[in-house]
Amino acid sequence: MKLAPQSVPYRALQKAAGTAVALFVIVNSGGFGLPLAVGGGAAILLVTFAYEVAYYRRFEYVLTEDTLDISSGVISRREREIPYRRIQNVDVSRGVIQRAIGVAAVDLETAGGSSTEGSIRFVTPDEATRLQREVQRRKSGRASRDDDAEASGTDADAVDPGGDDAFGPDEEVLFAISPGELAMVGALSFDGRLIGLLAFLSSGSFPVLSSFLPETSAAALTATAIVGVAALFIASWLIGAGVAFSNYYGFRLSRAGDELRYERGLFRRYSGSIPTEKIQALRITDNPAKRALGYASLSIETAGYAPGQGSESGNQSAVPIAATDRVYRLAHEVESFGTPEFNRPPKRIRWRYVIRYTLIVGVLTGIAYGVNWYVSPSIPWYGAAALLLAVPPAAHLKWKHRGYWVGEDHLLTRNGFWSRTVAVVPYYRIQNVIDSRTVFQRRWGVATIVADTAGTGSLTGSDAAAADFEVGEAEALKQTLTERLATAGAARRSDGADSFEWLDGDDGGEDGVDETDGSVESRTEEGKPAEDEEPPGGEKPAGDERGGVDEGGVGSEDAGDEPDDDVVADAEADDVASEASSEEDLDIPEDGVVRPDFSPSDRDYSEPAERIDTGEYAVDQNPSDADVAHGPGSGEEREADGDAADGDRDIADGDRDGEGETPDDR
Amino acid sequence: MTAQTLHPRVQVVWVLRAVLLSALVTAPFVGGAYFEYLPRWAPVAVGGVVLTLTVAHALLRYRRWSYEIREDAIYLDRGVVTQVRTTVPLVRIQHVDSRRGPVERTVGLASCVVYTAGSRGADVRIPGLTPDGASDLREELKRLAIRADGEDAV
Repeated sequence: MKLAPQSVPYRALQKAAGTAVALFVIVNSGGFGLPLAVGGGAAILLVTFAYEVAYYRRFEYVLTEDTLDISSGVISRREREIPYRRIQNVDVSRGVIQRAIGVAAVDLETAGGSSTEGSIRFVTPDEATRLQREVQRRKSGRASRDDDAEASGTDADAVDPGGDDAFGPDEEVLFAISPGELAMVGALSFDGRLIGLLAFLSSGSFPVLSSFLPETSAAALTATAIVGVAALFIASWLIGAGVAFSNYYGFRLSRAGDELRYERGLFRRYSGSIPTEKIQALRITDNPAKRALGYASLSIETAGYAPGQGSESGNQSAVPIAATDRVYRLAHEVESFGTPEFNRPPKRIRWRYVIRYTLIVGVLTGIAYGVNWYVSPSIPWYGAAALLLAVPPAAHLKWKHRGYWVGEDHLLTRNGFWSRTVAVVPYYRIQNVIDSRTVFQRRWGVATIVADTAGTGSLTGSDAAAADFEVGEAEALKQTLTERLATAGAARRSDGADSFEWLDGDDGGEDGVDETDGSVESRTEEGKPAEDEEPPGGEKPAGDERGGVDEGGVGSEDAGDEPDDDVVADAEADDVASEASSEEDLDIPEDGVVRPDFSPSDRDYSEPAERIDTGEYAVDQNPSDADVAHGPGSGEEREADGDAADGDRDIADGDRDGEGETPDDR
Repeated sequence: MTAQTLHPRVQVVWVLRAVLLSALVTAPFVGGAYFEYLPRWAPVAVGGVVLTLTVAHALLRYRRWSYEIREDAIYLDRGVVTQVRTTVPLVRIQHVDSRRGPVERTVGLASCVVYTAGSRGADVRIPGLTPDGASDLREELKRLAIRADGEDAV
């Protein structure tokens, strides 16, 4: 499908504007005269327009069965296929001008890469909505594909903007911002950028400024400074309020089927969708002001936003503010964690914070003293020491706000003395577990456990961390997290469709000789559990049968097995089809998935190995391009191995030999 | 598999790095002394202290470093000042690199980098392996990761 035609002039103007202004300035200052400037501007516009026309002609996106294909690029061309299953979120944004001319920008985020993977600039708003819905439906709604086909067929020509949900699942509004809350967001927002900008400007120009300042008393100077700072803060606050108001105007979060949708913005409208299965973590934050008023904010994290895109874009779906219980209700809607009961760090750790804060106050006092000594009016520099009074309560609060809770499916952590953050991380989203102890922590006998996820919050330093817990407790938590991660993963796997495909046990027998590599492999996989368990009684006959099979290709591998081959046979003979009959007797573990036992090897990887230890794994054991066990002469080889074999260890050796020597045979 | 230590020769790499770092830190002081802003002994003292600290750090780092590949995860234990123990579940491995930097090549070593989708511990590097050891480890991890058969990590 093509972009919206009106995107061509818009893109051209957008691109040319900056260049034209720059050129105009250059030309003006160079004294080339107006006609030349106008001519240059027109030429640039023409070139960009031509480029954009080419871009428009080249740009094409297609919704195929499994992927969204985008081919684009004028000079260097690019074809990109994005599997629907890998799409993290779909965001649509429309600026004021874009709304006026009726276009919208669509961004599709996946977890990989450093920038937005699918950026479609621009399509009509209806098309954007259709894309958004279509991507979701194609991802999840395999069952209703027939309806989809019809629906998308009709949608393509004429989309009714109001009816975009008619063919989608019902939308259930989870949260809609009320005017009171919107006002609250504005009131509690503070834009630090102005202060930062002024600080940056004044740091360079202070010597210049100070020469302009009239000689006045220190008191007057201080008063001016206070008024100035106050004005600055008010201005920052007003800006922050304005930005927050326009950002969150009309915020709405809703659930439709298995995805969340959000909408917000006054001037620039944002809307987007987040599949619930892609949510990495939830974060509930508050600060003293919000706490006092009983409010909190919630942000929903996915892996979609790239590091460079800043925290603002990562939080597009954040609920800016709502009553605390409402936030928790909402969080429960999204991820149903139970009622958290946080474990706190040991009480003695408060002394650590006391020491830390005392040191900070000491440093501040030192700085105040230094300033006083350098500037020379006698300001009460020791006033900073009064902060010492605040140290004990701060330390207590810090301790009080720290904690973690191991829920049924989620880990909750809480941190922060000033602005408090509760992070909710589902176990199956944990990527790795980090246990770190600084020198000071070691002195206190405590450790910090970080559950790292692919979400964006970890980049801004607000990981889900259980900080300053007793070493023993921390170790236990780490262990628990690792285990839960594994079990949660297994549980999800058994729910999902992508489990092993089992072969029927009764297609065994002599047929196995003719099996292709592929089926032999899967059989091997299947047969592996036999290693753990004592072979059932039926094993021996199977072994005899094997003798018969040996004349064929597959079984010949085991021809050389010694009579005491129970162990060796279990490991090696799984390729033999006749074995399949005995596999029906296997115990199935609780999780319903029969997993082979691949005990890791004892190899020291800092030393070179003679051969690659492939363990017992099927993929390496029977590489499709080398029919290791099937080659002629492999029987003799086995003979030699079998002679040497008198323990479990030799299985791997035999394996290794099989791998290593086959090339010689060929 | 029991906890593995690194190849002793990795100390050469780290000590070299420490020397380089000390040289960089000392350079301004040498300049200062040359132009007689600083007393003659300053660069010697600074260089000595920094060199001692960084070399000690490098040696201690070697002694602390250990890794272990268990059935379900890779365990790493490292860090001198801040001790860090990382657990990388095998299901979470995205891809594995074995790489050899120029210094590593000269001393005949290699390292193995394990990538996960996490944001903080996204890449975990196991240094101090022999080249064969590194590629074996890479293969082993690949095998274990395939076997672990995780659902989509993100």
